[in-house]
Amino acid sequence: MKNLLPLRIAWRFLASSPAQSGLIVAGIAVGIATQIFVGSIIISLQDNLLNNTIGSAAHITIKAIKESDSVRYTPEMRKLVTSDPRIKPGTVVPVRAISVLYSNGSDSSSLGIFGANLKELDGIYKLTKNTVAGRASIAPGEIMLGTDFAQKFGISAGDTISLKFSNNQAGAFKVSGIFDLGTAQFNLRNAFVTPDVPQNVMGWGGDEYSSVQMQLKQPSDSARMAQQWSQQLPGVSILEWQGQNKNLLAGLVSQSVSSYMIQAFVLVAIALGIASTLAIAAVQKTRQIGILKAMGLADGPAGQVFLWQAAILGAAGSACGVLTSFGLLALFTLSPTPFTISMQPGFVAISALIGIIVALLSSIIPTRRTSRLDPIEVIQNG
Amino acid sequence: MAETRNSEALLVATRLDKVYGDGEASTHALRGVSLSLREGEFAAIVGQSGSGKSTLLNMIGLLDTPSDGSIVYQGRDVADLDKGGRAKLRNGLIGFVFQSHYLLPEFSVLENVEMPGLIDGTVPRPELRSRAEETLALLGIEGLGPKNANQLSGGQKQRVAIARALMNRPALLLADEPTGNLDTVNTNLVYDLFRQLNVRLGTAFLIVTHDRTIAERTDRILELTDGELVQDIRTSAVTGER
Repeated sequence: MKNLLPLRIAWRFLASSPAQSGLIVAGIAVGIATQIFVGSIIISLQDNLLNNTIGSAAHITIKAIKESDSVRYTPEMRKLVTSDPRIKPGTVVPVRAISVLYSNGSDSSSLGIFGANLKELDGIYKLTKNTVAGRASIAPGEIMLGTDFAQKFGISAGDTISLKFSNNQAGAFKVSGIFDLGTAQFNLRNAFVTPDVPQNVMGWGGDEYSSVQMQLKQPSDSARMAQQWSQQLPGVSILEWQGQNKNLLAGLVSQSVSSYMIQAFVLVAIALGIASTLAIAAVQKTRQIGILKAMGLADGPAGQVFLWQAAILGAAGSACGVLTSFGLLALFTLSPTPFTISMQPGFVAISALIGIIVALLSSIIPTRRTSRLDPIEVIQNG
Repeated sequence: MAETRNSEALLVATRLDKVYGDGEASTHALRGVSLSLREGEFAAIVGQSGSGKSTLLNMIGLLDTPSDGSIVYQGRDVADLDKGGRAKLRNGLIGFVFQSHYLLPEFSVLENVEMPGLIDGTVPRPELRSRAEETLALLGIEGLGPKNANQLSGGQKQRVAIARALMNRPALLLADEPTGNLDTVNTNLVYDLFRQLNVRLGTAFLIVTHDRTIAERTDRILELTDGELVQDIRTSAVTGER
């Protein structure tokens, strides 16, 4: 009961000035709502951008050091790669890729064709999910084309196209389906066939591939993993997405920094708001604190009064801020947006916690002032 | 009549000095004041404005510290206590009534009276509540409990302040011009009340007043002039009224 007295006094002090308390709660709420709103948009935007860029692409690619050579997908390499807990299960895809020429008589284009099993390809490229016409199928004699390529050459699912290989042989393929992986360049330049097509063209053995591709549970691990594997897998080249997308990463980092700056300034504004209001409240309540101290309230519990006030204001303001941010994001999603905005519970919880911590830190000055107040100052001044 | 406390020394103050400021600008508020007070005593401090009455009372009430001299409560020198220890002693042993009632406007009358008990924190809440109600009844204001301090008259506020001062059943109640803001009728009521409580609870009273006629209603008058204790007399009230 004794320990709760400062809380009780704090609550009464706040309740005795409802307008002042309401304003400061509103101030914290606006700050926290801004923090969550801006943060969620930036996080969602970055997730969306990353997902578009690497969601349907390899995070790590093992290739031969010389571009034209094959890489041997040995049992040792398979064991190393598939047993690594950082690899997203079902996303290790040995791929054979060759360059072919497509021509429809009037126009022609080179096309990079990947040969692999559909099930394995689905692990990275999610072909089945991203099929926009026809059906997802890579049976012998079938090919899946990108939507931009199909549009450019007026090809539809069910059509048969002829491709010319580098060994001057040609092959006819039935277009089983058309995919859209979200990247125009990929859709325009690449296609998928059975693995034996490139194998026969290149004359490779059963364990020879152009590359072994895979995705990671945490894409940000790619650089560290590539470095580790470089030492464990000599004689091959290990490429990772971060090294190949430095401009994108720099953009994301800059965006994060600007987001953090906005959030930091919002927090500073909250802190200043609470600190100034609590400082005023401490002055307003000096008489009461002095009387309580004259009655025997010790310095510690007296100081806790304003700590509790800050905690109550911080908790109430953060709760209102979270609710407001839900409303703001709901309003935002009413208008058409090019990406999906999602609130991450962890980020919301951290933002609310930061609100409370900032409020508590803002109470340091009034808490210390109250703690040091000598009751005789109040009694002598009447 | 309730049993009064025994007559052992409750307080012994020895050669209390209080100097404000340094050097030539310093002011000597108290000069070597020594006094002792027995349990259950009913005494007044009188003197002109600026004679050091309130300074002495604040020092005895452990709100202020002497520049020199010692204060011993029930055999314990308060110089040995830290701030927390002094606060605890104030809470348990001493009650204060000031000229201004100093009630907390954020709390009801009953909660104001409970406050010293809540600060002490050792008595269970139901017992505290019942003691607060009992104390209000003792002062004849039991109906005021749920009201806010701002809704009371001056006399009622001062009674609530007295009830609050008595909540922890202190051995000593210090009152600094407790009727300074009251009319004659209420002034007489308050002093009658002090006397009744002194007799009934055995609480010692030390009342600062500039009004000699009021002081003469106590058992002992301590007179201060320019910070010095110039007179310490037993009044007729000792034999006449008690």
